[in-house]
Amino acid sequence: MEPDLDSTKAAAGNRKHLAMLERLSKRTAATSSADSPEASPVAAFLSRFAAAKAAAESAVSACRSSPDDVAASLAAASSAVDDLERLVAEASHSLPPYELRSALAAVSDLRAAHKLAASEIRPKKSFSFRNKSKATKNPAQDSPPLPQPPPEQPKPNKPNAILPGFGFRSRNGATLVKDLRASNEKDGDFTLADLVSCEVYLKGKCRALYIHKLRDCRVFIGPVFGSVLIEDVERCTFVMAAHQIRIHEARETDFYLRVRSRPIIEDCSGVRFAPHTLKYVGIEDDLRDSGLAEDTGNWANVDDFKWLRAVQSPNWCLVPEEERLPTVDISEVQERDNCN
Amino acid sequence: MGLLSIIRKIKRKEKEMRILMVGLDNSGKTTIVLKINGEDTSVISPTLGFNIKTIQYQKYSLNIWDVGGQKTIRSYWRNYFEQTDGLVWVVDSSDVRRLDDCRAELHNLLKEERLAGSSLLVFANKQDIQGALKPDEIAKVLNLEVMNKDRHWKIVGCSAYTGDGLLQGFDWLVQDIASRIYVLD
Repeated sequence: MEPDLDSTKAAAGNRKHLAMLERLSKRTAATSSADSPEASPVAAFLSRFAAAKAAAESAVSACRSSPDDVAASLAAASSAVDDLERLVAEASHSLPPYELRSALAAVSDLRAAHKLAASEIRPKKSFSFRNKSKATKNPAQDSPPLPQPPPEQPKPNKPNAILPGFGFRSRNGATLVKDLRASNEKDGDFTLADLVSCEVYLKGKCRALYIHKLRDCRVFIGPVFGSVLIEDVERCTFVMAAHQIRIHEARETDFYLRVRSRPIIEDCSGVRFAPHTLKYVGIEDDLRDSGLAEDTGNWANVDDFKWLRAVQSPNWCLVPEEERLPTVDISEVQERDNCN
Repeated sequence: MGLLSIIRKIKRKEKEMRILMVGLDNSGKTTIVLKINGEDTSVISPTLGFNIKTIQYQKYSLNIWDVGGQKTIRSYWRNYFEQTDGLVWVVDSSDVRRLDDCRAELHNLLKEERLAGSSLLVFANKQDIQGALKPDEIAKVLNLEVMNKDRHWKIVGCSAYTGDGLLQGFDWLVQDIASRIYVLD
């Protein structure tokens, strides 16, 4: 009995094993055919697409042949085209570019055909496909090129006429002093523009500072609890503290800074940096109120947007210690020039 | 338009919106993004390159691309145009001198075909600063009404410093985008 049992067991085991192998091979065959990336899903899509396309085409042509029930047939055609588009959209992940392109082209052809049919059958009724109507409109606008350009050209420099805000502008050889703590204006901005050979002393805080076109000036400024934008300065010295400092087109200019973030330069050459050295009675309070009580050391962490590499930019350097300004105390400087 | 609409339909499932923040340097783009996300805005270096933030806003997930505005890197803005649902143009309302630059850059940007379908929100930022131009004055200088016909746009005064106006702006933008691409809602 025993050997018999064994042999039947073995036979059963064998059969099982064979069946399992068969199942496995079937499964691998099935998965491999499903997995082969190009062949089957694309083929399946193409056949479904061809069917949907034929349906949409016949729906569109049906519009013309059945003038009695125009609205319904147009709507049916439109939804057939929609179906087609949805089909493409769903398959767009897996489709190779060529198939996708040709499928999209077929969809847009059908849309055009449908639109044409619609406009022929009921020319007045608005079946508006906005993109297409724009596409047909644009060439018409392009041919007379006159109406478009004018809006872009007018009013150059107009805002210059209405420069608002506090500031010193267009001075030569003057000493300009302003104590912002004295004025009632809070959270204002301040502008320095078109100054030549001037000394500028600004005590107190301001919210933003704009500096434009300075030549041979020395500028001492209290804390700015916002950003500073400096453009087009030459042979100047600036001492200031601020949250953000951007320097554009500066040449041969020294900056003594305390800044919360990294100062940046762009289109600059020969600019040098050193730590902040300004004093006046009460500056400690102003610095603290502006979040600038501590020196972060960022005055030396300059980013040069014209030199995005790891090596040191040739456009800036530090002021050698022996050349640095001593601490500048402007407590005694009296206000003597009204700003405009 | 075919491919764009496909992309939109795919995105519809995820309730995702892609928002591009651009504008001149020093306009406050990064500050706006951090403020709206409730982060510290007191230490922000000028953006060298770009930042991406994903923010849950109402029931949508906003992918905000905040791209640096320095002149040198403006030419790279084009690399971020693809699939943009909403455009946020940020203006420093107190920088009157550069409003001409600002207008030129904006209109240059809006010529871009890949941005043709996107909604435009203009933030007239820094309204907390005394002497800042008001939103309607900014709209006039930037000549915004020329695009009345072919784009959804809105200008909103705001201050990234105080936070005023930011939600109002984003509410409009998100609603406008949603009504355009999530038609089934």
